[in-house]
Amino acid sequence: MSVADDSPVNSSSSDDFASFLDTELDSTSDTSPEPEEEANETYHSDGNRTKRQKIEVLESVTDANDSTPQHETTKTLEASMKDICTHPGVIGGMCIKCGEKMDNQSGVAFGYIHKDLRLANDEIVRLRDRDLKNLFNQKKLCLVLDLDHTLLNSTRFMDVTQEEGYLMNQSDPMQDVLRGTLFKLDSMRMLTKLRPFVHTFLKEASKLFEMYIYTMGERAYALEMATLLDPGKIYFDSRVIAQSDCTQRHQKGLDVVLGQESAVLILDDTEAVWVKHKGNLILMERYHFFASSCKQFGYRCKSLSELKNDESEDDGALATVLQVLKRIHSMFFDPVLGTVRSEILKGCKIVFSRVFPTKFQAENHHLWKMAERLGATCATEVDPSVTHVISTDIGTEKSRWAVDQKKFLVEPRWLEAANYLWQRQPEELFPVNEIKNNR
Amino acid sequence: MFFHIVLERNMQLHPRHFGRDLREKLVSKLMKDVEGTCSGRHGFVVAITGIENVGKGLIRDGTGFVTFPVKYQCVVFRPFKGEILEAVVTMVNKMGFFAEAGPVQIFVSNHVSFRLLKFHLLLIPDDMEFQSGDMPNYTTSDGSVKIQKDSEVRLKIIGTRVDATEIFCIGTIKDDFLGVISDPGTTS
Repeated sequence: MSVADDSPVNSSSSDDFASFLDTELDSTSDTSPEPEEEANETYHSDGNRTKRQKIEVLESVTDANDSTPQHETTKTLEASMKDICTHPGVIGGMCIKCGEKMDNQSGVAFGYIHKDLRLANDEIVRLRDRDLKNLFNQKKLCLVLDLDHTLLNSTRFMDVTQEEGYLMNQSDPMQDVLRGTLFKLDSMRMLTKLRPFVHTFLKEASKLFEMYIYTMGERAYALEMATLLDPGKIYFDSRVIAQSDCTQRHQKGLDVVLGQESAVLILDDTEAVWVKHKGNLILMERYHFFASSCKQFGYRCKSLSELKNDESEDDGALATVLQVLKRIHSMFFDPVLGTVRSEILKGCKIVFSRVFPTKFQAENHHLWKMAERLGATCATEVDPSVTHVISTDIGTEKSRWAVDQKKFLVEPRWLEAANYLWQRQPEELFPVNEIKNNR
Repeated sequence: MFFHIVLERNMQLHPRHFGRDLREKLVSKLMKDVEGTCSGRHGFVVAITGIENVGKGLIRDGTGFVTFPVKYQCVVFRPFKGEILEAVVTMVNKMGFFAEAGPVQIFVSNHVSFRLLKFHLLLIPDDMEFQSGDMPNYTTSDGSVKIQKDSEVRLKIIGTRVDATEIFCIGTIKDDFLGVISDPGTTS
């Protein structure tokens, strides 16, 4: 049966075939039909009835008393496909849902997805809703990134000053330092310098965000920059929005971003273009590498390129903002759980002794991270503010210090117990075993 | 659908080509000019299969160029509404996916939720979710069927727009025996 109600019997040829089969089967109905034929018969006569039903429905919509539930579904399916298509969007002059020719130019243009694509508002809302669920399942937010002065800095060949001349010279020793971040784009007659840390930034941010590029530059420029930043096309895919996609002149808007506004963060160096979405904006310090860029914004000082200097890789603007983004991300997805958990060991200061293997980066150990998640602070050296020493051995220097200073000396299981039981455990239950001392 | 038809074209030839191999020159120029082009009326010219006849040349005043009316047989490809095509997925996004069947680009919206049918299998659940990431795709909840870049799908054309230079179609895979027919990993 399910076969019958799922197959749309609307093509005339199959209908002809059905009636042909009907007559054939009628003529042979006195002989006992085989099971297979029986199935065929029900299938086709069913389809035929559906067809008749449909005509009736067209003639008088109210007369639907004798319709069985499966006819009902077929009918609604067909109706939703043909009769009441809401025309959610138009691509190349055709409705994306039913393929009907459409002439009106309503809706918002999404030229960056396909050149002739326009979507109606309802469809945008639907896509955003669906997208939001999807993103939250992956624990991701949306991140809209500006190009110029945020992720990179570009200058035209003609604006390169004499002091920057070394940038054009392929054999200059500085070229080795700049390799991989400085690009000479002969086709556009431009020099582009990526901001230090940008590759790490994109890699880290892509784990937490779905990223868009949104620039006031031209489309060709934006795509070129996107390939520099993302040669593998894994970060941005087709989400590169350029000036021509904006719906308002000199304004950037989230209306062309298929992400729910409440889950979008914007990273840009110009506040003025985001009038409608100031709440989502994280303002970036401008990155001026080239002299022309400094001049454009009225700085009289020497540019980074002229000084043969650059922003710091490790604590430059991008590294700093990445930390902020990570904090926002964790607060967004873990607000309640995070605060409850961080209350458990609030006020404890923990020093570990003979817990981590030597030469192991203490901050990366899972116990250290666990303690921090539970709200404790961790330290590597003892001092008067320390409240707990976690140790596997009573004989270590720190363990003895704890006994002397009447601090709590507990074994690592104390931390694990607190983690599982969501409560600070009585320290007396987790003494460091003395037998270990004797071994 | 493919058609084998006879078309006519006026070819202009520079006088330097006049000689014993005039006809060959004419044919090679015709192939270069015509193959791969698209006309709104006939669709894409896939290949020229033969020359019916070359008419009498006419010298154009003032230039010395000669115009020959050439009748040629060729294979053309034109998609029609209701036609079933096999296509390769080129891009997957939130709204659906784009696929190509030769020179024709087809968009399939996810608005009618995809029902995926692996060939010869009937009724696989229609809960397709978009998965973003470095390889965006649509996957069923049980993970058995996946549409991603380079997947091969069988689809039905529900709308065509024919321009002077390109043909664009809207398709659907929501019908019996439509859907993914092979994944990019498997070589067939």
